[in-house]
Amino acid sequence: MSLLRSGSARAAAVTAVVLVCSWAIAVWKDSGTVVSAATSRAQTGEVLEYASPVEMLFSLSGRQLYVLCQGTGEVRVLDATTYAERKRIQVGRSPRGLSLSANGELLYVANSWDDTISVIDTKNLSVSATWPVSAEPSSVVADRTGRYIYVANRISNDVAVLDARTGMEEKRLAAGRGASYITASPDASKLYVTHVYPNLTPLRTAPESEITVIDVRRAVVAERIALPYIAHGFHVTFSADGNLGAAAGLHPKNLPPLAHLEHGGAFADSITVFGSDVGQPVELPLDELERYSVRPFGVAITPDKSRLFVTCGGSEEVTVIDVPRMLRYVHAHPGSHATDLSASANYVVARVKVGHDPRGALLARGGTKLLVANRLDDTMSVIDTRTNRVTSTVPLAGPRENSVLRNGEQTFYTARYSFQGQIGCANCHIDSTFDGLQWDLEPDGFGRDIVDNRPIEAVKDTEPYKWNGGNPNLPTECGPRTEKFFWRAENYDDLTLTDLVVYVRSLPPRPNRSRPANGEFSAAQERGRALFNRTTDKFHNPIAEGNRCGYCHSGAKGTNQKSFDVGTKRASDNTGLLDTPQLINIAITGPYLHDGSAQTLEQIWTVFNPEDKHGRTNDLTKDELNDLIEYLRTR
Amino acid sequence: MKLGFKVHYAVGCLGILSFSCGFAPPPSQSIGADVIVTAAPIYEELAAVHGGERFPHGARLLLIHNGTATPLLPGFAGSADASVSFDGSAVLFSGRKDAGDAWQIYELTLSDRKVRRISESTSDAIRPLYLPGWRLVYAQKSGAHFQMISARLADTEAIQEIEGKGVPTAFPISFAAVSAIPSDVMADGRILFESGFPLGEGGTPELYLAYSDGSGVESYRCDHPTKELDARYGGHQLTSGDVVFTHGARLARFSSPMAQEEGIPAPPADYAGRIAEAGSGDWLFSVRKSVTDSFALKLWRPGSPGLRSFFAQTGSNLIDPVLVAARNRPRRHPSALHDWDYANLLALDTRISRDGPLTAAPASVRLETRDDSGRAVTMGTAPVEADGSFFVKAPADRPIRFALLDARGEIIRQEHGWFWSRRGEQRYCVGCHAGPEHAPENRVPAVLTRTTMPVDLTGTASQQPQRGGN
Repeated sequence: MSLLRSGSARAAAVTAVVLVCSWAIAVWKDSGTVVSAATSRAQTGEVLEYASPVEMLFSLSGRQLYVLCQGTGEVRVLDATTYAERKRIQVGRSPRGLSLSANGELLYVANSWDDTISVIDTKNLSVSATWPVSAEPSSVVADRTGRYIYVANRISNDVAVLDARTGMEEKRLAAGRGASYITASPDASKLYVTHVYPNLTPLRTAPESEITVIDVRRAVVAERIALPYIAHGFHVTFSADGNLGAAAGLHPKNLPPLAHLEHGGAFADSITVFGSDVGQPVELPLDELERYSVRPFGVAITPDKSRLFVTCGGSEEVTVIDVPRMLRYVHAHPGSHATDLSASANYVVARVKVGHDPRGALLARGGTKLLVANRLDDTMSVIDTRTNRVTSTVPLAGPRENSVLRNGEQTFYTARYSFQGQIGCANCHIDSTFDGLQWDLEPDGFGRDIVDNRPIEAVKDTEPYKWNGGNPNLPTECGPRTEKFFWRAENYDDLTLTDLVVYVRSLPPRPNRSRPANGEFSAAQERGRALFNRTTDKFHNPIAEGNRCGYCHSGAKGTNQKSFDVGTKRASDNTGLLDTPQLINIAITGPYLHDGSAQTLEQIWTVFNPEDKHGRTNDLTKDELNDLIEYLRTR
Repeated sequence: MKLGFKVHYAVGCLGILSFSCGFAPPPSQSIGADVIVTAAPIYEELAAVHGGERFPHGARLLLIHNGTATPLLPGFAGSADASVSFDGSAVLFSGRKDAGDAWQIYELTLSDRKVRRISESTSDAIRPLYLPGWRLVYAQKSGAHFQMISARLADTEAIQEIEGKGVPTAFPISFAAVSAIPSDVMADGRILFESGFPLGEGGTPELYLAYSDGSGVESYRCDHPTKELDARYGGHQLTSGDVVFTHGARLARFSSPMAQEEGIPAPPADYAGRIAEAGSGDWLFSVRKSVTDSFALKLWRPGSPGLRSFFAQTGSNLIDPVLVAARNRPRRHPSALHDWDYANLLALDTRISRDGPLTAAPASVRLETRDDSGRAVTMGTAPVEADGSFFVKAPADRPIRFALLDARGEIIRQEHGWFWSRRGEQRYCVGCHAGPEHAPENRVPAVLTRTTMPVDLTGTASQQPQRGGN
């Protein structure tokens, strides 16, 4: 039996949702487009700016609490005892990380969407400098000697080493793909860097990640701790003695068919523990047989090393681990336990419900309190770590009303709609982007139509969706299709679906760092653009319209929204006709082609286009292909 | 909603009848809601799992309101198996108008006391449960055993339109050729049911799960009991998510963190059937001191040392209490069955098993089904890859089982029981009796790197790549 097996019934239902969505989108458009879901308009017309707290930090004195608010682009300074707001300091766009200098006099903030570091004087609580950096800075840490500032760059996959006095970049250290979070060891001698996108691996092999360990004294990479099977790494924490480290990670099951969710069929939510307390790094699952710790993000270990706390964004909870029990388990059962859903019973002692999309975790008062930043409802949960109960929920100043966009974003990030609350949209669209993985979706047949997960930034008006163009609009994509084949459980109601669709349609593209600010292309970019738009090949033969880059990849988003056979059909594909993907930020969203078989842009033409079906490219030289890539970087 | 107020008039009219039936006001404690319970002189708790009659001397549903019990359905010669709707407004039950009738499924609307018949058959239909949405599940006698049936609560045009014209009003969802008795509908939408272990073969009642379309059948846990006295039955999910059931004569639970049952430290007694969970946190269940006594209703606060009397009736076993109150509606399962008359089954690694390592590398897998007389019929074999994976197209809606063979064709592991796959079902298993605690590894099974075409073991010749819709 199918809820909507009847074609007419399904069509009617989808049409109804499309109409509702269209109306909502029209109303929303009329109210003025906004570029961030954290800023939206209420029905009254009032502009709603949500703080969206993501990280917290105590001042060195312990008297002030700095709360990094991604939505409003602020550091809010609160009284560390009463949580009363003392001041707001405006920083850059979409800040993602903050840290203090060794003497506590400076607070650094990484502003991910305008590529700057805000330097805040903590005495007068004002921005004393704004340093231009690059490539989506997501975390910033000052070394203890005051010599360097380290900045994790999400889209250049590295860590920039800046002069701490001037902010000038001295060098970059290669890190994992999507480098995002830096944690200093307790003795400050090393930095541990995680990354949110998996490192590229051969097609149809398990993803891999790493913790990049930086020797602070020499400002070099000292070690790369392998995280096999982990695709998305988040925060790292250490015990006070430095002997135990823990990294939050997401372990996808993208290689077997995504046929059902029960028994951890889609993801393992885990931490990897490392350090002298455990020997070799060990991945430990947080999930149970019927309860999941979805998208572990923030981690904190109490000073007495008795408890480890993990914020879980999708399940909206904090998972509490008994550290001595965990260590006993690790020693008694060597090796990874990522596939054992009964393992967590040996060390997880509580699951504490908090707010929407909990992110940063911060211990206070000698470890007796844990603060959790609930990004999507502008609150902080205060947990008594002795009882594992939320003792208070501190609201941050801002609108209490939820806008359509806010509702949609909450829906996007929660896992509550899927079977047993296992996954949410954000599991595969990390921070509303992509995951760099290829999935075997069940309805296409086991092992058939392996599909690369397409990015969703600026996805508005790029329908149809799916690589085979099978879904005509977002309400279909996010509604009945998602219910049956992803959530495997009753979906949201139509109004919630509408909110979700409005949110997804609102997603803006990341700022393109390769596009010249003055609009003047470099010579290579100009040459590439000419190749992209050319109508004759190098032998003066006309190129058929359908074989020109600019024909299929036309328009502002680089798609004419039509399907073509570009010669990439595999024996396991049901069709060679593929929807033309948009080119938004194409340079950072590899791998490429419908099944992710091209690891680089260049491979699209040099390996997978032998018959020029994917545009006329075989007449081009290596340098010309490089020019073409230079142009594509600007899209 | 307090049913007591709704039926006050009826209770008054029936007072004389009730009194003459011997219903004396017993000591009782309030739990904030009325209770409906099945009362039966004799209760054979495991009879249905074996295809038999649980109430050989009849049964009646009683409504307990403020410590007083009255017949809920005075116009019926027999009634049992109350299931209150999620909004608390109606009650499904199995009943028979006359003593010689077969048990059938009815629904009582509490506000107006109207009763309507749901099932229409000449054989017994018992243990109805509301499903989220517009259907119910119950057990229908078919030959010597009970089969689970999914049926529409109402056959309206609107529901037909939602489901599609081709979806029948009622259809079977269990196919093990043995009895399957629904016990509860889980918060995740799956049906908890009782059947013998090994499924389709054994006689020791065990708890199983299936989606509401009959797909995804599996044991709840794989720490199976092996003796008749170890029967697990009467499973009911608490609001915490734990499933409490009767194991032998004691109470036990399955909880999310554990791959095996945990005993419940309730006072020593003989427990039976499903429990009800009061909003106060108390459990209401059927209990007796010894096998010579009748089951009475008692309250227990988990962790407390003693049971408190709730209701008892001389000469009657009071079983399967349910609260007349609204409760959380489970999640509806959106069936994703394809429009096929077979199932595709993928094993990721047959070497993984709770039963220990294999004695030899599996070279092939044999699929068996049962013919109409119950005999095992071999449908053919398929190769097992070096990584333990295989992919087959299997006959749907009938008992099937696998046996792993070594290179010489000798059986190196065989399923003890049977299971089924629904028409259009496409699923994988992690191993062979791997247990629900074993999640899949993230790797491409070797069989899918060789071919995406399942080996056809349905007895038909079609060999086309299979896919569904969006």
